[in-house]
Amino acid sequence: MIEQLGNGLLLGIIISVASVALSLLYSVTRIVNFAHGEIIALGAIVTLFFSSPVDSRIIYLDRFSPLGMDFILSAIIAVLICGAFGGLLEILLFRPLRKAEVGNIAVLVVTIGLSIFLRHLYLIFATGRVQNFPLELERRQTYWFIDMTPRNFKVLIVGLIVMIIVGILLTFTRIGKAMRAVRDSNELASISGVNSDNIILFTWISSSMLAGLAGIFQATINDVRYNMGFLILLLIFAGTVLGGIGTSFGAMVGGLLIGIFVQVSVALPFMEGHTEAKNGVALAIMILILLFRPQGIFGQKERIS
Amino acid sequence: MSNSFIRIDNLKKTFGGLKAVDVEHLTFDQNILTSIIGPNGAGKTTLFDLISGFQEEDTGEIFYKNKNITRSQPYKISRLGIVRTFQLTKVFDRMTVLENLMFSGSSIKNDSLLNSIFKTSNNKKYEKSLKDKSFQIMEDLNIHQMADSYARELSGGQKKLLELGRSLIKNPEVLMLDEPLAGVNPKLAEDLLETIQNLSKSGITILMVEHNIDAVMKISDRVVVLAEGSVIADGQPQDVRLNPKVIEAYLGTNND
Amino acid sequence: MKISGKWIFTLLLTIFSVSLVFYFNPGGPLRILGNLLTFAGIYALAAIGLNVHFGMTGLLNFGHASFMGVGAYVTLLLVPHAAGREGEISENGLPFLSALLIGIVAAALFGLLLGLPAIRLRGDYLAIVTIAAAEIFRLLVRDLESITGGVYGIINFSSALQKYRPLFFDEFITELELAPAQIWVGLLSWVSIFFTLILIKRLNQSPWGRALRAVREDEDAVRALGKNAVWLKLQSFMLGAGIAGLAGVFLAFNYGSVQTTLFVPLLTFYVWAIMILGGVGSLTGPIFGSIIFWAIISETDKLAALIFENADGQQLAGVRFALVGLLIMILMIFRPSGLLGKKEELLLNVK
Repeated sequence: MIEQLGNGLLLGIIISVASVALSLLYSVTRIVNFAHGEIIALGAIVTLFFSSPVDSRIIYLDRFSPLGMDFILSAIIAVLICGAFGGLLEILLFRPLRKAEVGNIAVLVVTIGLSIFLRHLYLIFATGRVQNFPLELERRQTYWFIDMTPRNFKVLIVGLIVMIIVGILLTFTRIGKAMRAVRDSNELASISGVNSDNIILFTWISSSMLAGLAGIFQATINDVRYNMGFLILLLIFAGTVLGGIGTSFGAMVGGLLIGIFVQVSVALPFMEGHTEAKNGVALAIMILILLFRPQGIFGQKERIS
Repeated sequence: MSNSFIRIDNLKKTFGGLKAVDVEHLTFDQNILTSIIGPNGAGKTTLFDLISGFQEEDTGEIFYKNKNITRSQPYKISRLGIVRTFQLTKVFDRMTVLENLMFSGSSIKNDSLLNSIFKTSNNKKYEKSLKDKSFQIMEDLNIHQMADSYARELSGGQKKLLELGRSLIKNPEVLMLDEPLAGVNPKLAEDLLETIQNLSKSGITILMVEHNIDAVMKISDRVVVLAEGSVIADGQPQDVRLNPKVIEAYLGTNND
Repeated sequence: MKISGKWIFTLLLTIFSVSLVFYFNPGGPLRILGNLLTFAGIYALAAIGLNVHFGMTGLLNFGHASFMGVGAYVTLLLVPHAAGREGEISENGLPFLSALLIGIVAAALFGLLLGLPAIRLRGDYLAIVTIAAAEIFRLLVRDLESITGGVYGIINFSSALQKYRPLFFDEFITELELAPAQIWVGLLSWVSIFFTLILIKRLNQSPWGRALRAVREDEDAVRALGKNAVWLKLQSFMLGAGIAGLAGVFLAFNYGSVQTTLFVPLLTFYVWAIMILGGVGSLTGPIFGSIIFWAIISETDKLAALIFENADGQQLAGVRFALVGLLIMILMIFRPSGLLGKKEELLLNVK
């Protein structure tokens, strides 16, 4: 089980980052963004495109050649592109919907349509093949009690640092407070001089950047697939629900725990031979939480029904 | 004391550290029209929510006709005879006024799935009498001309009337009205007030949360004043009005 | 039923899309049409079930495929069939009708099971839970190979239904150069649609239907008026699930085999697209939505092949799905009432 703990932490940190992103967006805009997974995938796919060797056949129809850039640089640019994408989504799609006072349910269905649309665009243009970042294979090393490759260990550390920074930014900075103000009341916020449109835009951008980063992490540890976001989306929901919807801190903790539970469950006796069903464990946990403690670990007991 | 119609003991409710309701003991007698007043945020609607089951108390007990309804679900409390309205009207927008009333007045048995699949002549008779009853109530409240209009087309005042009508068609023993006059134009408010007074005279026990102090003074048998979750005054309207604690509560507290 | 603008438009659009089928398939259009109408019928039935959830009651169910799957698997396992990698044969079984009834009830019970944790929660939570449950269903079916045949699935069950085909039917259909087995399934689907719609129409106009609409409008008010909103929602959930189960059975018999790749989220999204296109809450909306949807979608593959040369099969399928996603988005934003939905019943703000 200990070895799975290492895997669990890795998966956990990824889900954590992605969950915070989702939770942030939900807190401020009240939108459950089902296309979140596609922004995650975007981070990975863009990084793949920028960093793959020139003339390698990764993109549709070989019409576009990858750029062969340095990996870290590609990743940074990809994160920025994801942020820009999120911003565009807000400006072109969600802001008009908000101004037109379209109901929550309709917006939710729109995000589902968006998710289907984007995911299959990826399929068309990035192919359905499983692909990998152009990184060398590494051997596992031992860090305290965990066994993992140096690169994965870096992912873990970077992930933790990002989480801490996000936590600090949210709690102590003016922007963080403004985000929380908009969450609590759009009208009150605008009265006190906070431009809720700008705050929402900022939230979309930062949420998307975090999502893109999570996607890059995921692809670094595993691989790049057109539907990698969709595959992980349910785990992200599970993490957010477990930690408590609407609390970023909860999302962090919940995501980490889900990652650990999922991986560790592989070692449980009844899971033998069914290791791929480990995701099902996360989903079962989520359903149980919703049954007995819908506000999660840290959530407020708001009227959930 | 144990024969009070409605009895509340040691009721406490806090939200994230803030005390919303803290009532040591409160009773309501049958047939009395009690108004519950107090500055904004005093806990009036929360009290209503707690009694009607829409919120869960931290501690305390609530009894209705000696039956403990503390942890009962809202629909069960309603079936016992306590019907409430809401501060922000909750009419069924995409249903007609008539449907709003007929839904409310329809019995559980009539609503059942099996009943609706296998319609008998009894069912048809029931629906007919339900329709008649609905029209009777609409006429009493003067909204019968809107019978076939969608509820969302009604004016604010008419919606309040519809919500009242929906409650009345259930023949409630206790009517809990949450700000029934809010947002209603003065002429309509006058009619509404008279209607409420008549209801009280006809035997319905009424609990009313209201901000309109004139209205409260005019028709209440008893006034309870809440401030910061606790009862600070309780008695006849004219006495409560002169109570210094009440005056201080209204003038002194930060109302928002 | 007055002939209003939207009906005319819908009928024209239906004729147009069906003519597309004839246009793009000069050789043997009748066969394509038969195939199209069978699929359309099955999916329309599924959409009718979803409409009970969303149109009548306002419930967000994104795991509809799993209801179809439960109906299908339970029914198939009860009739003679072969399952699993070795094709283990079960010779004995119930007659089709009995197995079907049990399958439908099983689907409804699955709806109850799902509903219990989820239905007290707010809309978006229900959406998440239904997706999760559908995924758990898929995983269970895949891993419980000894029962469900796992990834190898179940085959050789068709005769349970096909043996009821009358002789004159076979003769007539074969003369049209169509496949009797498939048309039989199609015919039964459409007959089911007919009876299901009668039931739904009756319920819509009944006190129960009225109660459901009230729940859709404002649950708190419903509770304050003494009605058990949770139980009403559960009943609606079960009804829609049962209808979906029936559709799932027909889907299985249309293919002649089932495996885990059949009842997946993409299936759910198709049904959603069809329901929205036809018109949420509209009685016959699913029918037209389904026909138009399938007619157009099946032709887009050819269009896609023209535009994207050298794309492999999977990518061409991607075009189809991308269009589905786009369709859902555009409809929801610009025409949420779809083709036949009532404008007055448009989704307002969720409380």
